[in-house]
Amino acid sequence: MLKVENLRKSFGTIKAVDGISFEVKKGEVFGLLGPNGAGKSTTISMISTLFPPSGGVILFEGRNILEDPKSIQRKLGVVPQDIALYPTLSGYENLSFWGNMYGLNGGELKRRIGEVAEIIGLNGRIRDRVDKYSGGMKRRLNIGAALLHMPELLIMDEPTVGIDPQSRSHILNTVLELNRQGMTIIYTSHYMEEVEYLCSRICIMDQGKIIASGSKEELVEMIGGKTEIELSLEAMSDEVLEILKDCKGIDSSEQKEDHILIRCENADLILADIITKVTAGGYHLKSVGVKKPNLETVFLHLTGKALRD
Amino acid sequence: MKILSMIRKDLKILLSDKKALMIILLMPILLMTILSFALKGLFADDWEAGKVNIAVVKRYDAAGDEKRFQDALHNGLLARGMGQDAAEKLASAGKDTDPERIFFEEFLGSEEVSDILNYRVESEEKARALLESGEVSAIVILPEYYLYDMKVNLLTPFRNEVDISILTNPEATVNGQIVRSVIQAYSDSMSSAVIGKNALIESVMANDLGIGSFEGMETVMTGIMDALEAVKVEVQDIPLEGTKPISSADYYAAAMLTMFILFAAGHGGRMLLEEKENFTYQRMMAAGTSKLGILAGKFLVVFFIALLQIMVMTVFSRFALKVVWGDPIPVVLVGFTATLAVAGIGAAVAAATYRAGNYKMANIFETGVIQTMALLGGSFFPIDILPAAFQKLSVLSLNGIALKAYQKTMMGYGMEAVLGYAGILTGIGLVFAIIAVFILQGKGGAAHAGSYQTETAKA
Repeated sequence: MLKVENLRKSFGTIKAVDGISFEVKKGEVFGLLGPNGAGKSTTISMISTLFPPSGGVILFEGRNILEDPKSIQRKLGVVPQDIALYPTLSGYENLSFWGNMYGLNGGELKRRIGEVAEIIGLNGRIRDRVDKYSGGMKRRLNIGAALLHMPELLIMDEPTVGIDPQSRSHILNTVLELNRQGMTIIYTSHYMEEVEYLCSRICIMDQGKIIASGSKEELVEMIGGKTEIELSLEAMSDEVLEILKDCKGIDSSEQKEDHILIRCENADLILADIITKVTAGGYHLKSVGVKKPNLETVFLHLTGKALRD
Repeated sequence: MKILSMIRKDLKILLSDKKALMIILLMPILLMTILSFALKGLFADDWEAGKVNIAVVKRYDAAGDEKRFQDALHNGLLARGMGQDAAEKLASAGKDTDPERIFFEEFLGSEEVSDILNYRVESEEKARALLESGEVSAIVILPEYYLYDMKVNLLTPFRNEVDISILTNPEATVNGQIVRSVIQAYSDSMSSAVIGKNALIESVMANDLGIGSFEGMETVMTGIMDALEAVKVEVQDIPLEGTKPISSADYYAAAMLTMFILFAAGHGGRMLLEEKENFTYQRMMAAGTSKLGILAGKFLVVFFIALLQIMVMTVFSRFALKVVWGDPIPVVLVGFTATLAVAGIGAAVAAATYRAGNYKMANIFETGVIQTMALLGGSFFPIDILPAAFQKLSVLSLNGIALKAYQKTMMGYGMEAVLGYAGILTGIGLVFAIIAVFILQGKGGAAHAGSYQTETAKA
């Protein structure tokens, strides 16, 4: 559906996007993951035809959007990271205006406003002024404004920044529901758990470049990620390491200052066995922690820094 | 359709902004009301209500002057210069010539002048008190030896200087000018009569035509009366240059209207950058709206705001302040072209502000340019009280041009009188609209729509 090839954008001497390529397939939720300043918003701004790239090509359904921007504009919905609404107008007036901007009028517009208000869960407050909304409600209306014209491709740029868990949950479920109805979605975020939850394929960006891409499993596989089990005991002893040698499925184990670190492929299969044997050896467990490899681990492995740095 | 939506949306936002509404609609209504009452004395509407009141001060001593004249005629320089017989003959020919009667009864008391001026004779002290309290707009002071000097001027070949002084109330400059003009007309006409009389006497004496020729003095006196007729004609022309005088309410209704529509341009001048900072500009661009479409929307929004202001202020002033705007068609034409000019300027300020990426341009326009234009254009007070050099600068002010056009319609002029002004206003609107397009389309600066996340662009 969307193909980006060797896309570049410079602001003066700063390379905001540095030769990235990726493809978004119809019907998928595609994730762009990276820390603030990675180039995600610049990338989606170029896909949204807000400004031209310094180089590269963006093809939408085979057409170069730089030569034919109209080909994408009517089929694209954009949810910007910042709230792009008129605070002194009501939610209804905002949706009405943005519907007009996408060519909707009359009865069709009214019907779509009703449907969208239902999707974003603002039915009861849609006639209130936006500046009376909570942060989460504004975020949901911000999404609603991009859904009115039923876009084929929806780009969501950090749509959950700064909102309460309830609104976040609502938004994530909305994304999945829209995708289930057939909408293709590009989802950018620096929250790796959201991307993991929503996206079938993921590009990890850093400093304007794509440093890895694939499904979550592929990305974890790529760095050879292992699950880590941390055992804290009331009394530490080297003998515990001897007991663990009898457990199958452990790739390595070592004693740290206040816990024992075990690496394995699949903690679910061996955790019960480990606990049984350690307690049978007379050791009392204070706590057990399991850290499965995730995109944070991948990012840390690839860049040497955490996503939120 | 998109443009209509943008206009509708911006007007809704404006109507929900109480501060903006106050500046755009309430302030001009309040100011035009206050100023039209507070500065009423500046304008000619006094004569509509009850004429210009003046006080006349006699510094001369009538009896003393008469005695002095008779002494001079029989025993003094006059007798020696002309000869006793000639002097007697002149005195006889002009025995009915009374300068006091000419000034008070035949001039100030004439039907035409009395329609404009109400006079009262007062002592100098009382007259000054009346002037300070505003009960009279001017004091006319007839100098010492006025009767003596005038008789010498009117009846002998000699000419004595007569200086009639006028003191005016600074708060009633227009009324003061009217009094000055009337007295000047009187003075000029009297001078003409005196010159004619002198020419006659000198000619008689030079050619030794005999004192019987002084019988012609009657003709001279008729000439004086004719001259006074001429004064009456001039007086009729004094009430400004049109057919109807402009009252303070008329003036300040037009002055405030033409000034405050500039604030619509100031308001519009912020709109593009506000949209960008709100990220709604980017969203509109992503929805396929062109830069020019957005600019056209802002142009029309300013146009409609200014039109709304004009409608509200015109209707308010018509019914609340009894302002007579004049023939509706030229009034509508002036209003329409003034809004075009304001819309053009608003679009240019908006484009420049957007391009600069900050509100300095819009602030300078609102706090500097509008105030300067208001001053030069006569929105604070009539520009005819400014130095001549400043008066010429009024052509640089949009409000000044529109105000002049409205003054024409108020004075009763028709379409022809305002077409030139309408053309200039339309030209201003078009030129600034074109400038706005060039500014917005130009490269460099902050001309592009900007990212959805400005932070990224700076990264």
